[in-house]
Amino acid sequence: MNRTSIIALLIFGALLGYILSFGPDTTRKFQAGAYRLIAPFLTKGSGLQKQITSVRTGLKSLEELEKDNSSLQVENRELKATNKALRDVEHEVNRLRHALNYRERSVFKLVPAEILTRDSSTWWRTVTINRGKEDGVEGDMPVVTDEGLVGKTTTVSNNISVVLLVSDENCRVAAAVEGTREQGIVSGERVIGGLTPLLNLNFLSKQANLQPGQKAVTSGVGGVFPASLLIGTVKSFRVRELDGQAQLNPAVDLSQLEDVFVVTGRK
Amino acid sequence: MIFFVILLVLIFFAQVAEFFIPSIPWMFNAHVYIVPVIVFFGATVLPFPLMLALAFCAGFLLDALTVQVLGSRVEISLGSSILLYAVLAGIMHGLRPLFIRGRWEIHCIVCGLCTSAIVLAQYLMITFRRGFVFFTPEVWWQIGGPGLIAVLISPVVFWILHWIARATAYPYLPTSNRDDYE
Repeated sequence: MNRTSIIALLIFGALLGYILSFGPDTTRKFQAGAYRLIAPFLTKGSGLQKQITSVRTGLKSLEELEKDNSSLQVENRELKATNKALRDVEHEVNRLRHALNYRERSVFKLVPAEILTRDSSTWWRTVTINRGKEDGVEGDMPVVTDEGLVGKTTTVSNNISVVLLVSDENCRVAAAVEGTREQGIVSGERVIGGLTPLLNLNFLSKQANLQPGQKAVTSGVGGVFPASLLIGTVKSFRVRELDGQAQLNPAVDLSQLEDVFVVTGRK
Repeated sequence: MIFFVILLVLIFFAQVAEFFIPSIPWMFNAHVYIVPVIVFFGATVLPFPLMLALAFCAGFLLDALTVQVLGSRVEISLGSSILLYAVLAGIMHGLRPLFIRGRWEIHCIVCGLCTSAIVLAQYLMITFRRGFVFFTPEVWWQIGGPGLIAVLISPVVFWILHWIARATAYPYLPTSNRDDYE
């Protein structure tokens, strides 16, 4: 190893030691800075991804049209394309109307946000949304849809935030089961094999005997999540050595999220 | 130096692109990672100091964009991926003479193994924090899947980067003068 390499190794070691000594606040600042740097690319990329998906769907309908009558093929193609575009618009209008209704009738102050990207790493279940400090979003704020709880914000940049999904093992939510006095902690699983994640409701009493279909809601304990937000419905219940555990189907389809709301306070 | 800067830019954009690449459902949601392939290519062709710089940038970017800070707790310290990248890139750097002789196939396989090693190391670190170690088939797929994908995509990525290296007249290409790559 020559002298340049040794000097490089020493500088590398010193820088690495310095970075490894960062505490949570400094780490969060660096993360916010990194997200600020890539925010324009994520926003542009998200738009581009939607366009590509739309084009791919359009091409699929063209394939189907080729089978139709040859004399009507051109006209048919145009009509189907127009129809598809209108259906997209209709879907978006319905989605936004639905969201607007929820926002108006909700007791919380809600900041609407759009999902930019999802699950970029293996071990953490996160999504990024297009709202940040400039929109009044801060760390540890609940994120919901009209169907129920989605997760909470972690890293918040100026106009982009990372949301830790309720399906992540680290996102722990104090929960109560409707119609019972049972309370527990909901968390996700470390590894998700299938498309739909399941949630675990731990620390229930052994006598809980929950039935499939019963609803689990936030209990409001802990200070992050307000009470009565739907988390999921019971899928199964089992008695463990020290406690009872229920598996829940999440109330929100986390793989199909498009629009969410950040709860910034009460009205 | 131009080639090094190009590699840095490519790492940045590959990291952004990874946000938009969906996981593969039939491989138990294994993720596709492009950045390690670029870093390990860089490790085999760049001199030692630049290899360290490349590992530093890639590791820092990975940690800054993926590590979770929950309350007053950082799950994986910022910088741990830098160390991981540096060690694994060091292994790839050791295989440099073979690479320069034109034997790429071993590097493609080692590249896959190193990619899986990164995911495995992350898993072990979060397990250390969260407790309760388990290795189910799903865990093995999520660790081995990215490596397998890296083995498959690395010939294409290596070929593109090799072409860029030639275009920028980067002098690592097969040569009789050993000083060029020692």
